[in-house]
Amino acid sequence: MRARDGELGAAVARAQDGDETAFAVAYRIVQPGLLGYLRGLVGEEAEDVAADAWLEIARDLGRFRGDGAGFRGWTATIARHRALDLLRRQRIRPRSTTLEQDVLDLPGPHSTHEQALESLSTERALELVRALPRDQAEAVLLRVVVGLDGPAVARVLGKRPGAVRTAAYRGLKRLARQLGAAGTADAGVTDDGPRTLGESE
Amino acid sequence: MGERHSGDGLPGRRHAHPGGVLEGPEDADGDAGFEAAVAAVLRPGGVDRTAEERAVAAFRAARDSGALRTRTRRRDDWRPGRRAALPPRITLSVVLASLTLGGVAFAAVGSDGPQKHADGGERRAARPAVSAPRQPDTESAPTTPGARPSRPGHPATARDTLAHCRAYERVGGRGTALDATAWQRLVTAAGGEDEVAAYCAARTTPTHGPGTGSTGGEGKTGESGNNGNSGNSNTGNAGSTGNAGNTGEAGKAGGSGRAGGGAAGKK
Repeated sequence: MRARDGELGAAVARAQDGDETAFAVAYRIVQPGLLGYLRGLVGEEAEDVAADAWLEIARDLGRFRGDGAGFRGWTATIARHRALDLLRRQRIRPRSTTLEQDVLDLPGPHSTHEQALESLSTERALELVRALPRDQAEAVLLRVVVGLDGPAVARVLGKRPGAVRTAAYRGLKRLARQLGAAGTADAGVTDDGPRTLGESE
Repeated sequence: MGERHSGDGLPGRRHAHPGGVLEGPEDADGDAGFEAAVAAVLRPGGVDRTAEERAVAAFRAARDSGALRTRTRRRDDWRPGRRAALPPRITLSVVLASLTLGGVAFAAVGSDGPQKHADGGERRAARPAVSAPRQPDTESAPTTPGARPSRPGHPATARDTLAHCRAYERVGGRGTALDATAWQRLVTAAGGEDEVAAYCAARTTPTHGPGTGSTGGEGKTGESGNNGNSGNSNTGNAGSTGNAGNTGEAGKAGGSGRAGGGAAGKK
């Protein structure tokens, strides 16, 4: 995703000159990461929040200064503010229950990440990410899914780069551990997601 | 390092060393495959056409209303040089921290100053007693012309002379073994090569023997009485008066001051 930052920067520059095709190009480059981040933050509301964020992005595009990587950070900040507004309004708790957390923390001794990831559905992955503490989940999502570098993640979150780096590291580590557990737990039950649940065996 | 990155060993090692070395960003490429896999799962594959059209329509409307010529705010500036800009709350805490540390440094300087001053005052009271008899001798030829000739009573000069004399004693009068410059200075100060032994004898003896130097020592005794009294503010001042006076009696006065302080403490 970072590989397209040059293309993104050029598209943004042309869009700022009024080129709506270039704006569509920028949208297609940025939207998947933004939506993935928002899903981790607000779950099913992600599409609506992203739509709101894009209205603001379109309105304020003339104000933006920076390159492609900067545009990712800028749009992520806008999307985050929208998501936090929603969370405040709905008082959604991004964390799952403690009981579930404990089950997820159990290590899986015989599975590898590769095996776990093969059977991992988007829903399951989101569930795991959203079970992380908020700061870890956001740091992981911004870095891995949106594709921001450390300083940019820190700026989006309004934290120090060191704290963000630690949060991302811990989040990824925990995620890897939980994926091991999830991989073995799901092995005989949901191989390919909910669709196969009724027809297995 | 290399074996840690091998695919099958990674999960086991993670479990075996949960509190292991914290990986830095440069080390994180060992998890690049894992991160990419997570990203692939969490990033939606395609883009919803309807949502894209809504966004483009919003852009068109904003452009046509002249919104593209709006002013850039600080939060809209993501140019690489500005990205390190700290959020206001952190900036404030950095400023507060520097003020606090600066205050500590200032307080340290402030508390150090009077202490040194008192010390210097004691030294100044003692030094003239040491250097007083030497002064007439050194008038004609300063011991260290290169150093500070305008301050003949400076401690460094006296110390230099003493050091030269001790070195002279140690080599047993074989002057050529001494450092040439120092030796020349010593000869010049003594007024001739033959005079060095006598000159040094005159320098080294009075400092340790009885005389004015011992008066300085008694002054110190008065000061130690002052230190003992530091708990009681008033009597402590009396003790310091004793210190300022350079005679043994003044030191005694400091001692009596301490006795008074003890009585006051009892009461």
